[in-house]
Amino acid sequence: MIEQTALMDIENLIFYYPQGQRPALNDVSFRVREGEFIGICGPAGAGKTTLSLCLNGIIPHAQAGRMAGSVSLRGVLLKEYTLPALSETIGYVFQDPETQMVSLTVEEEIAFGLENAGAAPSLIKERIREAVDAVGIDQLQNRSLKSLSGGQKQRVALASVLAMRPQVLVLDEPASELDPVGSRDFFQLLLQFNKALGMTIIIFEQKVDQLAPYLDRLLVLHEGCIAAAGRPNQVLADERVSGWGIRIPQVAEFAHVLAREAHFRLSEVPLTVEEGLSLIRQWKGKRL
Amino acid sequence: MNHAVLTVEALSHVYPNGFQALKDLNFQVRQGEFVALIGQNGAGKTTLAKHFNGLLRPSSGRIRIYGKETRGQKVSSLARTVGFVFQNPDHQIFHDTVAKEAAFGPRNLGFEEPEVKNRVKAALQAVGLEKRAEDSPQGLSRGERQRLALASVLAMETEIIVLDEPTTGQDQTEALEMMDLLGELNRKGHTILFITHDMALVARYAQRVLVLCEGTLLLDGSVDTVFAQPDVLSRTLVEPPQIIQLASRLGLQHILTPEDLVAELLPRRVAL
Ligand SMILES: Nc1ncnc2c1ncn2[C@@H]1O[C@H](COP(=O)(O)OP(=O)(O)OP(=O)(O)O)[C@@H](O)[C@H]1O
Ligand SMILES: Nc1ncnc2c1ncn2[C@@H]1O[C@H](COP(=O)(O)OP(=O)(O)OP(=O)(O)O)[C@@H](O)[C@H]1O
Ligand SMILES: [Mg+2]
Ligand SMILES: [Mg+2]
Repeated sequence: MIEQTALMDIENLIFYYPQGQRPALNDVSFRVREGEFIGICGPAGAGKTTLSLCLNGIIPHAQAGRMAGSVSLRGVLLKEYTLPALSETIGYVFQDPETQMVSLTVEEEIAFGLENAGAAPSLIKERIREAVDAVGIDQLQNRSLKSLSGGQKQRVALASVLAMRPQVLVLDEPASELDPVGSRDFFQLLLQFNKALGMTIIIFEQKVDQLAPYLDRLLVLHEGCIAAAGRPNQVLADERVSGWGIRIPQVAEFAHVLAREAHFRLSEVPLTVEEGLSLIRQWKGKRL
Repeated sequence: MNHAVLTVEALSHVYPNGFQALKDLNFQVRQGEFVALIGQNGAGKTTLAKHFNGLLRPSSGRIRIYGKETRGQKVSSLARTVGFVFQNPDHQIFHDTVAKEAAFGPRNLGFEEPEVKNRVKAALQAVGLEKRAEDSPQGLSRGERQRLALASVLAMETEIIVLDEPTTGQDQTEALEMMDLLGELNRKGHTILFITHDMALVARYAQRVLVLCEGTLLLDGSVDTVFAQPDVLSRTLVEPPQIIQLASRLGLQHILTPEDLVAELLPRRVAL
């Protein structure tokens, strides 16, 4: 087995917005290994967007505030890179898809990043086709961005970043406006990119219920601190986590209620319908 | 049965580029109903909802609010009856403080300042933003801006409230609080219609579900009957909530929440 090396290192990160009385991030440390698929969840205002901006360098390069601690990529501090250099390695999806849109049509928007990076027209064409197919907007290629529904816009934002094939992908609630099957398909697609291309993925998400089964590791951000971390089955077994307003899978919620009512302890919770069925079988077997 | 507050008759909508987003829709919403509107991205949910307050006008067919056709009624006059919360809060927030934003609606409806103040206070309290009244909306997180958008509509106290994905970007606690708040308004007699992609919320809160697919009405019924038809739902990229899928694998019906399923599986406690 190949040793997984640390790709990014986040150490004792603290961040205050200019007017902020409380730190938005309060001593956050973790490591991202090459090829990992990490989910980070947390209640509203926990600091998800802030942390995501520290991972792509917008903090401290372009957002005012006081920062302590460090974020490094392959051993070099992010503040030592320029933003354009960082953006070649680290792709980023904004929480509001409209923030990142610069073009008139869907096709122009997806081509924009590739053209800027100097990609050949044939490659651009190929990548656009792959990206629109992957996120299910192949019918919309020539439409103006203004004429799209909310979820369709979000799909364009996702296609634009995927077309760039960055080595590291940071996404801030990328599936918030996708329909139920659309968000599940998108998480599966990320897993595919992760497995096939070794893309390292760090996704900030409220839809933990749908995302959890695909993750190597889940971190929980709470009041600016990492409050829990580990395999999703274990992290979501911690009852504090649902108390913090994390949207856990309904079968996990079910497992918590069942364990409470039937007086048994859970060290892991089921995440999928199949895992839910096997928990019920186990529980019935022991009870009978 | 209560009287119809919202009537949609042979409604079609064609956008200027020629795209037909709504195709001959027919349905009624009655006083005091709590309705979820669901369906895949691009199904036409926002397009339909924008017809209720006159932001979009029918290409053919008509909408009646309390029996009166919307044609010829101004957006500002419809706003007295129908409150509308946008899918993207930043499309509706344009004042420089939270309090001014929430005051805009009632002020526009012509209420006196003391009444405006009371309403703003109550609305901000309802969404947990009372301490942010003097802050700029720019300093709020997305979820907080979403709740501000709701407060602006609450402050108008309209009889019908239409919400386009109100819980997007909210954490679970906030989403449940927001839905509880809507439930409370519903019990007071307000008619509520909300758009969402969160099927667990639909199962927990809605009485009736309208399912759109490519501009047509695919299903219209109770939560129970709609979620019992996964094959039909899949045509519009919707799946029943996970707990209903689990229950159906166990051959159980009428389960809507995790608590329901536990109650079903545990031996009944016999009262002594
Ligand atoms: N530009 C800003 N100026 C001042 N404070 C800010 C700013 N942006 C965010 N904050 C505050 O910093 C904290 C963390 O915000 P952040 O946006 O990172 O949270 P989040 O977890 O992404 O929330 P959400 O789930 O609502 O997107 C919050 O208390 C927020 O109010
Ligand atoms: N201004 C416009 N011009 C042309 N077509 C439009 C316009 N606005 C929306 N559409 C199209 O109409 C259809 C319905 O859009 P609508 O915004 O109502 O969808 P929705 O059901 O709300 O989707 P979502 O879940 O993504 O918000 C979509 O296919 C969209 O591309
Ligand atoms: Mg955020
Ligand atoms: Mg919409």
